Amino acid sequence: MRRALAILDYALGATRRRGGRNLAIALGLAFVVGLVSAVLLLTGALEREFALSVDATPDLVVQRVIAGRPALIEVDSVERLRGLPAVRSVRARVWGYLFVPSLEANVTIVGASPGELGDTLTDSIVEGRRPRPGAERECIAGDALARHLGLRPGDGIALPVHGEIRVLDAVGLFHAESALHSADVLVVSEAMARDLLSVPEGQATDLAIRLTTPDEAGVVANHAEIAFGQVRVLDKRLLARTYELTFGGRSGLSAIMLLPALAAFLLLAWERLTGLGGVERREIGVLKAIGWSTSDVLLARVMESGLVALGGALFGLLAGYLYVFHLGAPGLRAALLGWSTLYPELVLVPNADLGQAAALLGAVVVPFIAVSLVPAWRAAVVDPDEAMRGTT
Amino acid sequence: MPYTPGKRLIRLLVVCALFALALIVVGLDVRARRQDEATRIGRTRAVVGLLGFADLALSSDARWLRHPSQAESGAAFADLPGALDIDPAGAAIGPPLTLLEQGGTTLTVVHRSAP
Repeated sequence: MRRALAILDYALGATRRRGGRNLAIALGLAFVVGLVSAVLLLTGALEREFALSVDATPDLVVQRVIAGRPALIEVDSVERLRGLPAVRSVRARVWGYLFVPSLEANVTIVGASPGELGDTLTDSIVEGRRPRPGAERECIAGDALARHLGLRPGDGIALPVHGEIRVLDAVGLFHAESALHSADVLVVSEAMARDLLSVPEGQATDLAIRLTTPDEAGVVANHAEIAFGQVRVLDKRLLARTYELTFGGRSGLSAIMLLPALAAFLLLAWERLTGLGGVERREIGVLKAIGWSTSDVLLARVMESGLVALGGALFGLLAGYLYVFHLGAPGLRAALLGWSTLYPELVLVPNADLGQAAALLGAVVVPFIAVSLVPAWRAAVVDPDEAMRGTT
Repeated sequence: MPYTPGKRLIRLLVVCALFALALIVVGLDVRARRQDEATRIGRTRAVVGLLGFADLALSSDARWLRHPSQAESGAAFADLPGALDIDPAGAAIGPPLTLLEQGGTTLTVVHRSAP
């Protein structure tokens, strides 16, 4: 134990003597680890946000497809599904997008019935108040939309529709905490949604089905396909699974794209570590002359590399965490998530655990120590006499 | 002469303790965020229940990025023929391939000539 401590003590001294080089390597490692961990933490947190809220969506969504494009579906078709034993409720939804040139963005218009607004929304969800039943012009706006327009509860929003101006009263605003889902949303009455989106009476965007037993989803989906012909039926359970794969796959791809940076860095570290300076050779020569074995010198060199790699990687990991969860990932967020005008305030919760952090550390520290082993061995086998004379 | 640990080892211990402290602070931050989430998620679910979809509003530039789960398989093609993607958001929000298969047509080849 004392022997190992003495070698560690020497390795610490050597790390300090070659401070400039080691600091550069540690900072390089910290940068690579910070970037990879930021990508993984950001996508992991988004995946978590989706997974926790997907339960609240309808069990099945039936969309009509004509010529490969989504088409409006008849509201009457609700009755053909309502009678099925496993079906609890079917709702013909009216929703869609409205491009607003002044915002240079699409606003998601969602039509809601007075019952839905009354059942689900409380004061803790909406700042201001809920639209009153029958008040067709009252609406609730998403946080990003409100921020971008400078809206306050009670303000009006004028929208040109069919050559006329419709003025909506934004009586409520969604709080920022739900912005990841409602940032660009305008919840209006169903009649107003039809007017804004030009959806004729008797038709709807899609059908949302809630089931008494989710296991019956396949049976109901088959029935819908047979009943309506060209339709696309989205199963909530499939949606949850697919999203996990989608985010996981994409974050993995982003991490893979950063691998060349890690490889280039390891190559640079190899090059820096291979070149033994005259001072280092003399130092090793002296150590061996006073009785250090080759394995002692090798161990000291590995400890030096390990300290630099572990310190740099841990620092990178901590920096990645701060960058994503406290600074909101500026830069990376734009590169990964696009340049939308209406972007939500990210309220993120980490999805990663200690095991994943350890795996990332291992993936960087182990290869780094591995590339430092050969130069360390070459340094350790130096003949003490020749090293001190400076002839090798 | 027996070895006695020097100042350098004590400094290393201090640095290790600082890293451990930083990790503990991160752990507490994660815990606090998860506790906040537990109270927030009920309200978020209410909003999702009202809207009817859980897609995250990360990009509002294209419908297949805004609502990947609701967009049909040809959405990108229909909106911008010939383009793979118009927004870097496509790098993070991939097309949910399994979902896009829903409602697809099964194509079977009927061979008419003898092999």
